[in-house]
Amino acid sequence: MLSYIARRIVQAIPALLGVSVVSFILLHIVPGNPVRLMLGQHYTAARAAALSNQLGLNKPLVVQYLIWLVHMCEGNLGFSYSYNLPVTTAILHALPNTLALVLIASLLAQFIAIILGTIQAYFENSPFDHIVTILNYFFYSMPSFWLAILMVIFFSIDLHWFPSGGVINPQDPNPGFFDWLHHLVLPAVTLTLITLAGWSRYMRSSVRDNLLLDYIRTARAKGLRESQVLFRHVLRASLIPQITLFGLSFPSLFAGALFLEQIFNYPGMGILYWNAISNLDYPIILGVTMFLGTLTIVGNLIADILYSIIDPRISLGSGDSM
Amino acid sequence: MAEPLLAIRDLKTYFISREAEVRAVDGIDIDVAQGQVVCIVGESGCGKSMTSLSIVRLVPRPHGKIVAGEVIFNGTDLLKLSESQMADIRGNEISMIFQEPMTALNPVMQIGRQISEVLVRHRGMTKKQALEKAVEMLRFVGVPRANEIVYEYPHQLSGGLRQRVMIAMAMVCNPKLLIADEPTTALDVTIQAQVLELMKKMREETGTSIILITHDLGVVADMADHVVVMYAGQVVESVDADTIFENPMHPYTRALMDSIPSIDEEKDVLYSIPGTVPSAAHFPKGCRFAERCPLAVESCFEEMPELRELAPGHLVRCDRV
Repeated sequence: MLSYIARRIVQAIPALLGVSVVSFILLHIVPGNPVRLMLGQHYTAARAAALSNQLGLNKPLVVQYLIWLVHMCEGNLGFSYSYNLPVTTAILHALPNTLALVLIASLLAQFIAIILGTIQAYFENSPFDHIVTILNYFFYSMPSFWLAILMVIFFSIDLHWFPSGGVINPQDPNPGFFDWLHHLVLPAVTLTLITLAGWSRYMRSSVRDNLLLDYIRTARAKGLRESQVLFRHVLRASLIPQITLFGLSFPSLFAGALFLEQIFNYPGMGILYWNAISNLDYPIILGVTMFLGTLTIVGNLIADILYSIIDPRISLGSGDSM
Repeated sequence: MAEPLLAIRDLKTYFISREAEVRAVDGIDIDVAQGQVVCIVGESGCGKSMTSLSIVRLVPRPHGKIVAGEVIFNGTDLLKLSESQMADIRGNEISMIFQEPMTALNPVMQIGRQISEVLVRHRGMTKKQALEKAVEMLRFVGVPRANEIVYEYPHQLSGGLRQRVMIAMAMVCNPKLLIADEPTTALDVTIQAQVLELMKKMREETGTSIILITHDLGVVADMADHVVVMYAGQVVESVDADTIFENPMHPYTRALMDSIPSIDEEKDVLYSIPGTVPSAAHFPKGCRFAERCPLAVESCFEEMPELRELAPGHLVRCDRV
């Protein structure tokens, strides 16, 4: 197991290098000049040249890339142009907010998806199944930013149940945990609804396939109660694809949070990224991209490890069974 | 004869969908006495598996449905029981073994747990007691290293061992009736013989009645006390095992016997019954075997023959013999 993880981490290095090269090139293909943006109305040719020189932007691209790479290997992602902070500090400030949002939303979505999908599959073609299917397609096809806007209009502006954005109430001197939670509800529910829709479809079809298998008939022939058949036998095998889905979708959840954070003015990685792109803040863009790349690889690795725990037919590494 | 352990009366199991009504089991009667081995013989699709699933009420949902009949087990009609009363009987008093031991076992659950959960369910044992009993049972059915295998998974075992595990699982509560649906079809010939031996041993030591479903007449000769021949959802002949080989009466049974290759004869081409089984969605109104039958006359196509007792204990559904 440990040697497997080590091997996967070694394999991740070329993948991450590839990500960095591609994003570096793309960044410099995109029209626009960060120096110009930073100087704004104070722009003069002399100042621009001085700033370019200071930021290292006048060096050849290859040299710029290598400098960045060497710094990254030392754990230094550079200094943000617009925030006046080291990139790592900016990311560490934003990360907990996004992580909370994404973790809460994905766990909630997975939990509800498992329950809904199982009930749907068990009572296939019942009115409940049809209604949930329709709702699923409704939320699945709805763009996240649109749903977010509707949520704000309805729950925040009309009903005044939840704040429309931010993470804390600025007028409250001692905000505390519940205030934070209160701010988290709308973005988390929006992200949950959108994620849930797809996941419960997967769960439904997975349970449906498993219900038809021979060993479920065996479980019934043993006289087990239906609840035992369902929870002990059907559910375990049906969860396997959900785990892969969970690992794979973690990065895309971060990406999904990008729009939501913008709408809910939620100070996480999404807003950081969004602002960095509008300001052509190269170090932040590269730093966040590398972070998401790493997250994708880690998500996959975790899914594979969980996979081997839940399914005895899969063994990681070589030859530790059979 | 004393009251049989199991009496199936006029059982009808249909598959009903919007397009068609498929009469998989169409009014069969079968008796199984205490300790008896009854073989149900017939080709694929004749309704033998559906008969066995109907007994324990596990006909595939949602289309399969038992539409009529009685299944009297130990004096009670199983078809009248509630779902939970039926579940109390399954795996406890009536258990089943299936054809494909790889897919019939849960691939992601330890062998020991799969056996012990039956005991926990029906005998109220603790998990620990049940696991000990599972090891004992695995030893009894001849599984080597039983105390290690309880912690292994089905994919780590050979086909023969898996079928032994299935048998251990089915027999662990000492059922009065064991239904084995083609238990040896998926196994190598040498393993087949071992599994049949094991089933005989189980019968001798526990007095369990067995319904053995097979299309292999060799298995019938080896195991059966009584034989029921099914064709197109109906019983066409029912008699004790010796008579079926010595004096088969129904033209279909005779044709089945003729299709066994004999070691004494020189044959270039094996005999096979001409024609095919009529589709269960569109049975003819007369005898269902008439189209393939060498004895058929015009009246056979018009009227369905009744099951008649031609000799004591020998039932045949044919008017021409």
